[in-house]
Amino acid sequence: MVNRVEMENRIIPYKMLYEAVASTQGLVDGILPEHGIPSLKLGLGHIKSVMEDFIIKAGEGLPIIGHHFSFPTEYLYCFDCVPVCIEGTSYFLAALLPNGSEPYYDLITHWGHPFHTCTSQKGTMGMTLDDLFKFDAIITPTAPCDNTYASYPFFKYHKEIPLITPDLPFLKAEKSYRYHAQEIKLGLEKLGKIIGQEPNYNKLKEILELENQVTNLEMEIFELKKATPCPVENMFNVMAAAAQIYLAGREEKLEFYRQMLEIAKFRYKKKEHHAGEEKIRSIWPYMIVFFDLAMCEWLDRHLGMSILFDIFNYNFADPINTQSGLETMLYGMAKKAMEAPMTKQSAEFYYPFIENCVQLAKDFSADCFIFTSHIGCKQFGSVPQILREALRDEVGIPMLLIDLDVGDARFASEKIIREKIKLFAQTLL
Amino acid sequence: MSLENDPLLNISNSILNPYIEDWQKSNKKVIGYYCTYIPEELLHAAKLLPFRIRATGTKDTDLADIYMVRFTCSFVRATLDLALRGNYDFLDGFLVCNSCDHSRRMFELFNLKVFNRENFNKKVPQFYLAIPHVITDEGFEWYKKEVEELKEELEKAYQIKEITNEMLLESINIYNENRKLLRNIHNLRLQEKPKLTGSEFLQINIANSSISKDIANQELNRIINGLKNRKPIDVSNKKRILLVGSIVDDIYFTQLIENSGAFIASDFLCFGTRNFNDDVQLVNYDDPLENITKRLYYRLSCPRMMDDHLRRLDFLKEEINRAKVDGVLLQRINNCDLHGCDNMLFTHELKELDIPVLNIDREFYQSDTTRLQTRIEAFIEMI
Ligand code: SF4
Ligand code: SF4
Repeated sequence: MVNRVEMENRIIPYKMLYEAVASTQGLVDGILPEHGIPSLKLGLGHIKSVMEDFIIKAGEGLPIIGHHFSFPTEYLYCFDCVPVCIEGTSYFLAALLPNGSEPYYDLITHWGHPFHTCTSQKGTMGMTLDDLFKFDAIITPTAPCDNTYASYPFFKYHKEIPLITPDLPFLKAEKSYRYHAQEIKLGLEKLGKIIGQEPNYNKLKEILELENQVTNLEMEIFELKKATPCPVENMFNVMAAAAQIYLAGREEKLEFYRQMLEIAKFRYKKKEHHAGEEKIRSIWPYMIVFFDLAMCEWLDRHLGMSILFDIFNYNFADPINTQSGLETMLYGMAKKAMEAPMTKQSAEFYYPFIENCVQLAKDFSADCFIFTSHIGCKQFGSVPQILREALRDEVGIPMLLIDLDVGDARFASEKIIREKIKLFAQTLL
Repeated sequence: MSLENDPLLNISNSILNPYIEDWQKSNKKVIGYYCTYIPEELLHAAKLLPFRIRATGTKDTDLADIYMVRFTCSFVRATLDLALRGNYDFLDGFLVCNSCDHSRRMFELFNLKVFNRENFNKKVPQFYLAIPHVITDEGFEWYKKEVEELKEELEKAYQIKEITNEMLLESINIYNENRKLLRNIHNLRLQEKPKLTGSEFLQINIANSSISKDIANQELNRIINGLKNRKPIDVSNKKRILLVGSIVDDIYFTQLIENSGAFIASDFLCFGTRNFNDDVQLVNYDDPLENITKRLYYRLSCPRMMDDHLRRLDFLKEEINRAKVDGVLLQRINNCDLHGCDNMLFTHELKELDIPVLNIDREFYQSDTTRLQTRIEAFIEMI
């Protein structure tokens, strides 16, 4: 007989996150006017219901599979399991709890983990060190960065959690997709053996078809953002990133995007801005600040600054072909994984990134870029100056560079960051 | 025999050296690279001189800091700094691989900012090698193809009709001989009464990576003969240390350790054991390139290979016994995630075996000498 509480206690931080989502949603519903920040209201509602479902499944004893976001959550749905995104947990707790994931960053840092590594892993590492997570297995590609593939062996060698590491090669070319497709397949097979299940590719096919529908909706919203004023509020970027992880492969995700597309179309027709007036159109080629998500709304309302998109919201892969057999489907999965935010940049030289940014700036009539230089991201450490020069020379717009840790306010606090943006905005107006 | 002003060891103190000048005078090319995961034998067979890029002697990184944010590896930043100042203008080729996030970006930065500088008119071919991050059969196949493609690219770029199997076999022999000689010298410092210090051994390794192996082998033989007659160094009042971690390409750091009451009896560094521990096995004479790739891929790994930590730990354990060390000094250059994370695991694993460990972080250049010395001295006193 399964002891439900014991089983649920394998994912205590996930439950903490659920509580945080539920109470934030309660607050949002209670305080905000009916049409205030719809992405937040809708997104939290959907996330809450999916999380609830997974907590029930954990209680029933389904295996808990940790994964890096570079191994898309929906790929794990070929199993009956509870997927937990290592990075998502660290950062959404950082967003929703008063002290964020800081105690867990400290725990693992005191254990000897280098201070300059990425907090997106650090949080969950600290939680696992403290036995708050009990993963049955973890799967991560060898991407997108040194931080990642250097951090994950901790789970294997210290906590003795089976770790599966499909290799993700540098360089995006036909041979790379084929290689990674093979690695995904081998990885899923290995994972299946560990948890005593066969990968169910038919079920996966359905999930991928649903995700294809989402991609089409995403593209439509993306197109609408070209309009001035931008018909989508800044908070949408956050909720879209959360949906990518927490709603992956679920009807709720489709519903969320349908609802958001309707809202965007409505505002587009009326030339309406979520917070009144759009004064500055900014692109954040890297991440938003996870420990201060309220900043999104602050930018909309106080500075009239739209975040057209951040790194999690401008990378789109082609829909996956699910109709031509397993090999083709796996190929599409590999391609999609290699197009994912950060992974994409880790598998190519940075020229396409610079070219994309310049093109996006033009297509979306951006007034400026804000580059959050996150301490963990060494792969991006030599990009900002080159990007700044390209934007200046080819588009004639400035870029603000902020050194920070997107998951830890102690590196650069929200006050400092907001102040920098405010001063920068003044130079633009 | 004194190694103090030895011409071979002196090479390690500067970037350029007379051997390179001679080499280039006879119209031969030099190709710069960052990481030991490149097939040196292939370059040698193409009559190219592989030169391992380093930043020996750098004191700051002002110029490079414009292009690389402060949390990138200070070693890589220092190499870029030198390059921006023209110290690497002598290169006739540049080979980068995805060893780590810091060094792999040198491909773009050298391309845009070094080789594209105003008044720099040389055309420097650039090559890239993508290496898997795990050790598997599939990964090997991938890597083999990469090396085969590199061979074709080299032939094209330097107008070589063909790099033949004979040429490759000859290079394999020269490189295997080179590694054997380095192991012989390494054995002379491992022993209870060592013939050379850890700093001297580091200098030999650095010099060895800066000249052609044909010459290096003659020089290493000369050193070995000289060392045979050298009086052993008295290390009876010193603590024997195994030095592990990020790149060390300057004796300022090893001397700092050895002046703090330690003797570096062995190491796990890429200017050290990691580079000469394994030989190319000639299993398939028809495909020497495959043999070269096998050695590279399956050899004693560095932390960029994410599934091979246990084999690295085993090597440490063996070396701890072989070199009879009193303690292990783990170090990482600031912002080096790969060694930082591996060192974290080593710290706990070695402590469990009751082996004294010190785990430190440092800047590459000589900026925090006093802090480092204090910590190292305290550790030496403690063991
Ligand atoms: S790419 Fe950057 S944000 Fe992403 S996991 Fe690596 S260090 Fe963290
Ligand atoms: S010391 Fe670390 S970060 Fe620096 S080049 Fe070496 S592996 Fe890369």
